Amino acid sequence: MDYVYSIIILIGLFVILASSFNLIIGYGGLISIAHPIFYGLGAYTSGLLARDLGLPVPLSILSGALVAMLLSVAMALPALRISGDYLLIASIGFQLGMIELIKNLRFTGGASGVSGIPAFLVPSFGRGIYVALVSAVAIGVVLLVRWIAHSDYGRAISAMRDDEQAFAALGRDAKWIKVSIFALGSAIAGLAGALYAHYFRFVTAEQFEILMSSTILTMVVVGGLKTPWGPVIGAILLQILPQAITFLNLPPVILGPLQGLLFTGLVLIFMFLRPGGLVRAGNTWRATGAGRGGG
Amino acid sequence: MFNLTTLAQILWTSLATGSYAVMFAVAFALVLKVNGVFNFAQAGLMTIAFYTAHGVIAGLALGGTAAFILALAATLCGAWVLEKFGFATLRRNNASPMFVFIFTIVASEFIAYIAMLAFGTWPKTIFPQLFWPVQLVGDIAISAWDLPAIAATLLLLLSLWLFLRFTRWGQFMVAVADNASLAELYGINRQHVYMLTMLIAAMFMATGMFLYGTRAQVQPLTSLEMMLFATLATILGGIGRIWGAALAALLLGIVQNSSILVIPSEWQGFLLYVVLFVTIIFFPQGIRLPAPIRRLAR
Repeated sequence: MDYVYSIIILIGLFVILASSFNLIIGYGGLISIAHPIFYGLGAYTSGLLARDLGLPVPLSILSGALVAMLLSVAMALPALRISGDYLLIASIGFQLGMIELIKNLRFTGGASGVSGIPAFLVPSFGRGIYVALVSAVAIGVVLLVRWIAHSDYGRAISAMRDDEQAFAALGRDAKWIKVSIFALGSAIAGLAGALYAHYFRFVTAEQFEILMSSTILTMVVVGGLKTPWGPVIGAILLQILPQAITFLNLPPVILGPLQGLLFTGLVLIFMFLRPGGLVRAGNTWRATGAGRGGG
Repeated sequence: MFNLTTLAQILWTSLATGSYAVMFAVAFALVLKVNGVFNFAQAGLMTIAFYTAHGVIAGLALGGTAAFILALAATLCGAWVLEKFGFATLRRNNASPMFVFIFTIVASEFIAYIAMLAFGTWPKTIFPQLFWPVQLVGDIAISAWDLPAIAATLLLLLSLWLFLRFTRWGQFMVAVADNASLAELYGINRQHVYMLTMLIAAMFMATGMFLYGTRAQVQPLTSLEMMLFATLATILGGIGRIWGAALAALLLGIVQNSSILVIPSEWQGFLLYVVLFVTIIFFPQGIRLPAPIRRLAR
């Protein structure tokens, strides 16, 4: 039963991650794949504050989200000078740089990671309550994304994404929209990371590498960009499918790559056969006239 | 610590190890210039090159020459498949540059996972041993690997220069890089040019990876990490400037090797990513030297 609980929690966490990533990459059109590092920053911050400074876990979790948000703003303010593929490469540099930093700092446990993170709710109320907590947060995030998409703010985001110059010509501040959406999405990722840390109680920098980026990207692309429910379906599907393979009792050296092949193979198939994803939101991937270069 | 011999040794080693870095940067810069793609799938092709060479020697017990030829053939096939069924299809579907970029990363990872399944995740080398005999010239150690590596790089660079400068297809490539639509109006088949560019880049990748794999250990995800170095060199050298990318790769290698004297090796990776981040944000068009001021003769 513990295994089932863990899977449900992971599904919930990936729903949160994929939905918040969709906010940035889908609705905002900001092509950054550094999302996992904000997930990681939330996990590390919350875990270390609770374990080393004895901060109450709910406060640590909120601090994790806050630190992820602040660092995302620190990244976004200079990085959003550029767009398109340049922003994507800058985000890779930021993500891998942060991972190297975490690996080399002593207080983050170096390459060995952080273990012995205090558990939250589970010792007193059992695993079921944590499943309920993560599920509630996941539903809340999906509804928040849906609300944002249909709000005035969401319309402003769409307008900015589709034609930034026209948006600015109307006197609207594109930079504020970009930074705010980036900060919100990253804070939600930090929250997911903190929730992860207090359930699984161990984090290591390698969990937040490029492969994690591709996993979340897969969920969003397969599910459907720019739709509130697409990433949910993508996250559920792509968490359950690899679990099916685990029942084949393959050795870990084969299982890991096979799961990776499944992920990347699915993305490739979807990119060519169904570029709009399972839940379509119009002509998602067509160029919208966004510039390529810096400035 | 900073005596002349040490600096000369660093310079020589940087020059030698810069050989493969230059080839990866040139391949990346060439595809970016002509095809307009940030081709991270290059990492996948590099993985194909390395594991083919490794497989030929470890599995089939053939020699180094056969390993190189088969690695080159496999990489060319991989590039052909990638262009024919990947990039060409995406171009036909009018996919955005971002969609193409994501495709390149995912394709690389896909190939890396295949390599993991076939060869495992343990580091591998092309030859069973990485040891190369060393000769002292003055006080500088020169390994038997160094000179062939430098010679191969110079030969390939010279061939590319001659090809672009003096052949019809080379000039087609330059024309498509400048203005693909206009080039097509003049009767140049741009799809053929894109394919040719991918194949030429594949030759650089295969040669570079063969050199790298005979000197260092490789894992399935090594190529993806190495791509960031090529990306950095391409951006620093200036988008669209192939020789600028080659020079930047060489200079970056020298800076990286020299910095070991003052910065602990575990921080080298961090520094590389910081430089990548800063460069792409503040110098997205590369670092350009000021143009010489020309005055009218009085």
